[in-house]
Amino acid sequence: MIRVAQLSCGAEYSGIQKEIDRAAEKVGAKIIYPEVSLEDILNVEKKFGVSVASGDLNMAMARAVRIVENPELADAVIVMTCFRCAEAAIIRSEIRKFIHEHSRIPVLSYSFTERTTAETLLTRMEALVTTVKYRGLLARENQKGLTAGIDSGSTTTKAVVMRDNQVIGTGWVPTTEVLKSADDAFAAALQEAGIKKEEIQAVGVTGYGRFLVGKHVNARLIQEEITVNSKGAVFLADAQKGPATVIDIGGMDNKAISVQDGIPGGFTMGGICAGASGRFLELAAKRLGVEITELGKLALKGNYKNVAMNSYCIVFGTQSLVNSLSMGCKPEDVAMAACHSVAEQVYEQQLQEIEVKEPVIMVGGTSLIEGLPRAMEQLLQTKVTVPKYAQFIGAVGAALLVSGLLEG
Amino acid sequence: MAKVIVYPPTSMILSDLVERMGHKALVVPESVRKLATADEIESPPLNVTPEEPKKGLRYAAVDVPSGVRGRMALIGPLIEEAEAAIIVEDPGWLTGCAGCSRTNELVRLLIRTKGVPVLDLSYPTDDAEAKAFVQKIKAFLGELK
Amino acid sequence: MKVTKYVITSSESDILPSDIAMKIYGSKYDVNVKETCFGVVVSGEEEVINSLVKEIRALDPSGIFIKERGFPPGDPRRCRGRRGGGARPGFYMIESESKMLPMISRALASKGEAPPIPEKKKPLKPKRLEEIVKEDLS
Repeated sequence: MIRVAQLSCGAEYSGIQKEIDRAAEKVGAKIIYPEVSLEDILNVEKKFGVSVASGDLNMAMARAVRIVENPELADAVIVMTCFRCAEAAIIRSEIRKFIHEHSRIPVLSYSFTERTTAETLLTRMEALVTTVKYRGLLARENQKGLTAGIDSGSTTTKAVVMRDNQVIGTGWVPTTEVLKSADDAFAAALQEAGIKKEEIQAVGVTGYGRFLVGKHVNARLIQEEITVNSKGAVFLADAQKGPATVIDIGGMDNKAISVQDGIPGGFTMGGICAGASGRFLELAAKRLGVEITELGKLALKGNYKNVAMNSYCIVFGTQSLVNSLSMGCKPEDVAMAACHSVAEQVYEQQLQEIEVKEPVIMVGGTSLIEGLPRAMEQLLQTKVTVPKYAQFIGAVGAALLVSGLLEG
Repeated sequence: MAKVIVYPPTSMILSDLVERMGHKALVVPESVRKLATADEIESPPLNVTPEEPKKGLRYAAVDVPSGVRGRMALIGPLIEEAEAAIIVEDPGWLTGCAGCSRTNELVRLLIRTKGVPVLDLSYPTDDAEAKAFVQKIKAFLGELK
Repeated sequence: MKVTKYVITSSESDILPSDIAMKIYGSKYDVNVKETCFGVVVSGEEEVINSLVKEIRALDPSGIFIKERGFPPGDPRRCRGRRGGGARPGFYMIESESKMLPMISRALASKGEAPPIPEKKKPLKPKRLEEIVKEDLS
């Protein structure tokens, strides 16, 4: 049983404690509360560095101190506070940093509302538990044998076939019917590799359709995208040792993962706003009358500062782009403004929540829209790497990890 | 007998003094009891469901954190019932139902702007202060009908 | 309606939680009793509990205190053994206030006017601070 220590403020009163417990139970974990004394709470400033007006936040900090001093008490930590509480947002971030700096315990940080459900928390909790449970598997650096990976995403389905550490076939189709799309992508990858399905030794599956597809193809590994994508990213970018940051702007949600030796240490998943997704860029391309594959190259010639963007919203932001075109702005400036808008929103809302350490690796289909990694480089003031096969990252990660299960 | 809300709304000392002097103390555990002993809901530990933060919209807008609104769903109705109040200065160790300072600020504000008699005190630190504390409460409660 | 109350004794009271428990066991009342380090938790029908706590209070009127509790005694939702450790959040408030009970008890038991409380020290007037700085630096 994986013990997940909950350091939180407001969960019981938001009516979501049951959802946290349910998400933990689904991934085989148990929520625990480290024991602290009244003195621990009253003296928290001396050990943690601050005390605040809200007692429950002081209690959360005291519990963080207890865990750092007794790391055997918990296998993982979740730090959760109410969305829109400034006091809690500061403390939540500081608790995450405190545990990250003083222990090797993985931390998940999340701000909830009364609408947060177990389903929202599930992928995050699953990733947290995976990093604890499969530390050995995640430390794997080479793909061995003949394996396949399928990434059943919300917008596209990707598949790869790998042999002896090399990608030998890929398949990429828009997601329509989940199982049919998986079959089609897999068939395309097999055909390119010149391999028959029966020859594949094991299949790994990830993405939001993973449970359905995993059962369908009799997968040996069914795993959420956070651990799989970070593994795939550091493998393809040749950054398996030391720190790395993986950014994946997807069709339905975005992931920012802080990785150490190939294992996720902290991560955020955002999935509320379409304005910070690949969909926004698709719409921008349509308005500009260019193919999505051309949008990035066009953006590289432009300057976002020449376009006034009034909103990150997919509706109002797109309206800003259209207005600026009618006011005579150049299409390349508009293309870059769209890329900048998406990058800036991810930067403001997600990258602040994790440790951004170099190398920064961008993956997923959107990373091929050249303007997007460029906009991220401008915001982060650092080089952003887009590895080969970046759009197949989940499939590569799944094929790599599942090969680890072949040996015994 | 008057209905007296106490702050902190979970205080044992204040609620005990109010009740032993013949008045009704309005305290959060009674709100918690209503939820925790309800048969039909199954949302442990408190049986606070996402409905409570929605009920809390009566006291705070939607851009106020859900934890504040959920707590207000427990405390707000007590404030509405109150005919008098005893407020003790925040001692720095409030947890649980009184563990959120933003809620506590709103609770004090709503009590004070309600227009009922309010007694302001600090927790005592020695015998002389304790004696004054008890006597002020006695005198305040004695004047209530 | 069933209610639950804490009966908490001041640490200086001659009455021990076990005395209270014994009294309840030997009484006519049909209630649930659980001893804790602070006192006892009693649970039962509201009228019964109200009469019972009145009797218990009479054992030491200024040394026994009553507090409402939302959860029934030993409720698994609040029990630290069942919910993954850690005291329930309200525990720390009972602990903090319990430390003040001896003072409150003595105040309740004492007769006569409260002695005047010396005024709290006020910050030094800026003018005086200025003088001190000048004296110190001269």
